[in-house]
Amino acid sequence: MFKHLFKLIWNKKSQNFLLLIEILVSFMVVFLLSSSVVYYMINYQKPMGMDYKPVWMIQYNNELPTKNTDSIVMFYDAVKQHIASFPEVAEVSFSGNNIPFSSSFSSTDISNKGVKYERISNFRVEDDFIKVWSMNLKEGRWFNAGDRIYKDRPIVINESLKKKMFGDAPATGQLISNKEEESKWRVIGVVEDVKDESDFSPVMDGMYLRIDTGTFKWLSTITLKVNSNADAAFESRLSKYLSNTFKNSSIEIAHLEDMRKEKNRSKAMPVVIFMIVAGFLIINVALGIFGVLWYNINKRKSEIGLRRAIGATGNTVSIQLVSESLLLATLSLILGVFFAVQFPLLHVFDMPSNVYFIAIGIAIIFIYLLVFICSLYPGKQAAGIHPAIALHEE
Amino acid sequence: MIHLKNIEKVYRTSTVETLAINGISLDIAKGEFLSIMGPSGCGKSTLLNIIGLLDEPSKGSIRIGDQDITGFKDQRLAKFRNEKLGFIFQSYHLINDLQVLDNVELPLLYRNVSDKERRQLAAEALEKVGLSNRMKHFPTQLSGGQRQRVAIARAIVGRPEIILADEPTGNLDSAMGNEIMDILINLNKNDGTTIVMVTHDEHMAGKTHRLVRLFDGSQVQ
Ligand SMILES: Nc1ncnc2c1ncn2[C@@H]1O[C@H](COP(=O)(O)OP(=O)(O)OP(=O)(O)O)[C@@H](O)[C@H]1O
Ligand SMILES: [Mg+2]
Repeated sequence: MFKHLFKLIWNKKSQNFLLLIEILVSFMVVFLLSSSVVYYMINYQKPMGMDYKPVWMIQYNNELPTKNTDSIVMFYDAVKQHIASFPEVAEVSFSGNNIPFSSSFSSTDISNKGVKYERISNFRVEDDFIKVWSMNLKEGRWFNAGDRIYKDRPIVINESLKKKMFGDAPATGQLISNKEEESKWRVIGVVEDVKDESDFSPVMDGMYLRIDTGTFKWLSTITLKVNSNADAAFESRLSKYLSNTFKNSSIEIAHLEDMRKEKNRSKAMPVVIFMIVAGFLIINVALGIFGVLWYNINKRKSEIGLRRAIGATGNTVSIQLVSESLLLATLSLILGVFFAVQFPLLHVFDMPSNVYFIAIGIAIIFIYLLVFICSLYPGKQAAGIHPAIALHEE
Repeated sequence: MIHLKNIEKVYRTSTVETLAINGISLDIAKGEFLSIMGPSGCGKSTLLNIIGLLDEPSKGSIRIGDQDITGFKDQRLAKFRNEKLGFIFQSYHLINDLQVLDNVELPLLYRNVSDKERRQLAAEALEKVGLSNRMKHFPTQLSGGQRQRVAIARAIVGRPEIILADEPTGNLDSAMGNEIMDILINLNKNDGTTIVMVTHDEHMAGKTHRLVRLFDGSQVQ
């Protein structure tokens, strides 16, 4: 029977061509859509590696009148002391502008034993940064005051980067360097990966360098972990203090929770739009398949009548018609899968290849279901065709 | 072989009721070649469809062989048609997207017959109708007479006991019609196949064992 159906489809290939293309296009659309959704889901399931909920971010313009280093250090120490003294504040840390969910990003290329690692997310942090963000140490230690003096500058890296550089071997104590191999850094610890772009984004390779008071004048971000009693009243007191302290500076206080939501929204938006467009396309294709099958069955009434006359039951006829569409779908899918596997092979997008394979699986199941459902009703209808009447028509 | 008793067939549409067959009883013996004649619309095709179990009578009973067919359900009817009956139609009803050989194989597709055996039986049937050299053609590449011969090959490939032919020569000129007729006569003679044929052609009808005339749904002779 299979061979028979295949012949039937093959001999009608020019008539079926449009349907074949339609199914192929839907497959590709569903494949691309599910690739991004699967990718997002996989990323979503990864742990955050930190607790952003109680974290606030303060941004200010750094325009201090004095150039005297000592007084600058004293100034920032005082600011930090003061903020920490609020009962609503648990931890305070100055940092570079590159913090989770922020719009700024800074990256560095580094090298280890001649191998280059590009676009490593570069965080400038203070000793208390780990406490503000409740990050998890996986190996070695975090920065402390003793790191002010060093032979090789201490660096903390994240797990992803560690895996790439050292595999399962410990990283602590290893020397790495920047791309030009001028400055050497000594790895003192490894922290758990922090998902810092959005819930749906992958973790980037990350490195943390300690900032000392000498570089404070370049900074414009303070992060703090607040207690549960931090409310709007506290926020306005904090704001007032900051504007009094940083004169002529515009102060912005943002809650990380809000920043995260904003990032998630802008990350999800294109996929949602794609989904809506794909949804319309698929409805169109479904109607197309349905229409073509419907038309086919009416055009093939006399064939159906004949098959009934020579021994096909109503069920056999409807199974045959449904199988024909599924077989047709298979031809499209073979072609589609051939195109789809090019994505992981050619690294078209920056996604792990298992994402593509899961997406191919989803798209195959989806197309079969779609074609099956669309052909079920016309197939059933065909089974009900009375052989005598069908043979009458020609 | 075939026993019809008080067959009535009424077609009902929302506006009209047509009495297509009005109380026909007919016994057809095994090995008989019977022809049915009558003016257009008198119910010949309807009667043939009822004998062929393609249509259900509104009243009356049918026995074929020793089986009472009345009340058979879809699946048993289909099996019965497949094994016992062969159909030939005026307009051939070949599947144009399939090659001649595949068309002839069709009835065996609904039986448990192996691929190889199917090919072989179909080739034999085609040989019987003298079309061995056209197996790979498509129906549209054949003449009307050739097409009807393919249809005959399809009707006999499953070795049915009964062949039902509705105006098999209706679309053909007399030379080709005679060719078809000769094939049917040979089938009847050599294989003992019972044949019921509807025709408009007195000459063709004259070559059969018995002629039944219908008028307005009733048997007149
Ligand atoms: N499906 C149907 N619905 C309603 N009426 C029908 C149907 N099929 C046949 N009829 C009517 O039944 C009558 C007999 O039709 P049938 O086809 O048996 O005639 P016929 O003797 O074969 O005619 P012809 O020689 O033209 O083929 C006709 O009046 C026809 O209009
Ligand atoms: Mg007729």
